[in-house]
Amino acid sequence: MNIGVLGVYVCIFVGLYFEVFLLISFFEKRPPQKTKTLPTYYPTVSMLVPSYNEEKTIAATIDSLLALQYPEDRLEIVVIDDGSKDRTREIVAPYLANPHVKYFYKENGGKYTALNFGIEHTTAEIIGCLDADSFVSEDGLIEMVKKFESDPTIMAITPAMKVYRPRKLLELMQAVEYTFGIFYKKMFDNISAISVLPGPFSLYRREVFAKVGPFHHAHNTEDMEIAFRMHLHGLKIANAHTAYVHTTVPSSVRALVKQRTRWAQGYLQNSQDYSYMYFNRQYGNFGMLALPFGLFAFCAGLFTASYMLYHLLTYVGGRVYSLATTHIPPHLPHPHLEWFYFDTSMLTFLAIATVGMTFVAVILGQKISQTSLSIKSFFSYFLLFGFIAPIWLARAAWGAIRSKESVWREQ
Amino acid sequence: MWKRYLLALILTLGIFGSAFYMEYRLDEQRVAMIRASENDISIDILSSQTQFELLGNLECGTTTQSTALSSELDTLGSRLSVAENNLGSKNDEVVSLKKQYSLLEIKDFILAQQIAAKCHQKPVFVLYFYSNAGDCPDCSREGDVLTYLRQQYPALRVYAFDYHLDLSALRTLSSIHELKEQLPALIINNRQPVYGFKTLDDVEALIPELKATATSTKKTATSSVTR
Repeated sequence: MNIGVLGVYVCIFVGLYFEVFLLISFFEKRPPQKTKTLPTYYPTVSMLVPSYNEEKTIAATIDSLLALQYPEDRLEIVVIDDGSKDRTREIVAPYLANPHVKYFYKENGGKYTALNFGIEHTTAEIIGCLDADSFVSEDGLIEMVKKFESDPTIMAITPAMKVYRPRKLLELMQAVEYTFGIFYKKMFDNISAISVLPGPFSLYRREVFAKVGPFHHAHNTEDMEIAFRMHLHGLKIANAHTAYVHTTVPSSVRALVKQRTRWAQGYLQNSQDYSYMYFNRQYGNFGMLALPFGLFAFCAGLFTASYMLYHLLTYVGGRVYSLATTHIPPHLPHPHLEWFYFDTSMLTFLAIATVGMTFVAVILGQKISQTSLSIKSFFSYFLLFGFIAPIWLARAAWGAIRSKESVWREQ
Repeated sequence: MWKRYLLALILTLGIFGSAFYMEYRLDEQRVAMIRASENDISIDILSSQTQFELLGNLECGTTTQSTALSSELDTLGSRLSVAENNLGSKNDEVVSLKKQYSLLEIKDFILAQQIAAKCHQKPVFVLYFYSNAGDCPDCSREGDVLTYLRQQYPALRVYAFDYHLDLSALRTLSSIHELKEQLPALIINNRQPVYGFKTLDDVEALIPELKATATSTKKTATSSVTR
């Protein structure tokens, strides 16, 4: 067995171990279904909407916040315009007639500065963040508040993120990926190891910022770094799988790769900044499992993709060389349809098991978030994801090596 | 908490064990199929040989049986190739199967020659000596050439032999043709061995008889002579 094959086996072993671990967590502590009970206390909530050139989606985002089932006098919507050059201000203006909607304009400084600006200019007990390209379900805030009420030690909550109206192939692919993410995040909640508080609709108790400080630039992944810092200070992060938020996702490969490169590179650079948390028992499952596995998954994805690409190129190169030097005219190889000729190696069965478990995880994610995915979505996910993901992994690795900052928006 | 980590480890090891077991059982089944196929072909060859000896002057219509036999040998060859890829060329079972396969090829070659002589046919026989021990970088491409040729000329009979196979009958065949260890090597219709890589055009030029045997039937063969 050569070193390449051995590496692939190691990658599959760790990947499978992780999937099995999550499935055990699921069956040990099944997520409860949504109930109609209401909170006994409604804390004041400031929903911060940092925006930069969001003229296309800002109105729908504010509409979704105004439609939230929550006492009007307990909720304020704060739009922080981070120096937009488009019509964002004009579009928000009519909403300012509502006394619960506020608008601030500031010089462009990046998303984290907009969030910190919002925190400084509000006084609510709960601070919520909602990207200006996302829309919350009507009972989303109630579900989050119920979660806060269920455990006073919970300091921040993430929602169940879904893709907003997936139509194109890439959007359908991401719809499956996000559903897998719902399962994944819930299981990480079970083991207290959530590693990111995503921009679309994460909620914090105000004291979080008093304890850990404001958002940092954090390599353009402030939502990830704040989660790292909360674990550092022993603050609990939970997931409300019954609070749904719909977010718009990139519909072109270029935009998707750019977005994911930012996330992945942010993970690498934040990991470097907080390297002392790795395999540190003091930080529980976050340090012992979530961080090491995240980094391993990154490396494994790159390694496996490189290994497969190398073999594909070697094979194709070999065939081309053979045809060119043997003078055999190009022709299709004769297919063998008997099982005898099928690849029944251990690696094949392990690959089937890995894909099968991912499929089960997506199905469970669908079940706990009441999402329905089409067959086309599954096809696009299993056909496309493996080809596109290595691109952003490679770009992120290259960017991290060169320590080049990725951009969160076109600033 | 540690129990969850341990349980996950046990289950993951279980999945790996199951995958290993499935691979092992299916390879075992493949070997059994090849063994059964070799036994069948062996009986067929023995039957044809006996029939030939009994009749003395064989009715030439029955030679189609030998053609079918050759096709079965081809299929067996490609299956053996799969087994060798999966289990490795040094696997005892594979070596044993290859020896039996080579013996069957030699027997078929002799029988086919005898039938051709009796029936005044002019088939084209190519004995192809290769090695997959890493000492013949051109063998793979030469195999591609012969596989393609056989698809183009169904009457062409290619017998592929692993030069390094420890089989006395094979050594005898090599010594009869005074074969040197320069691979790949082709022996065409019992003429002097030709050494080194030959392109499709080269091989066609080396076998002028092919034009005569070409029946324009572009049947496709199902097997490969490469290993």
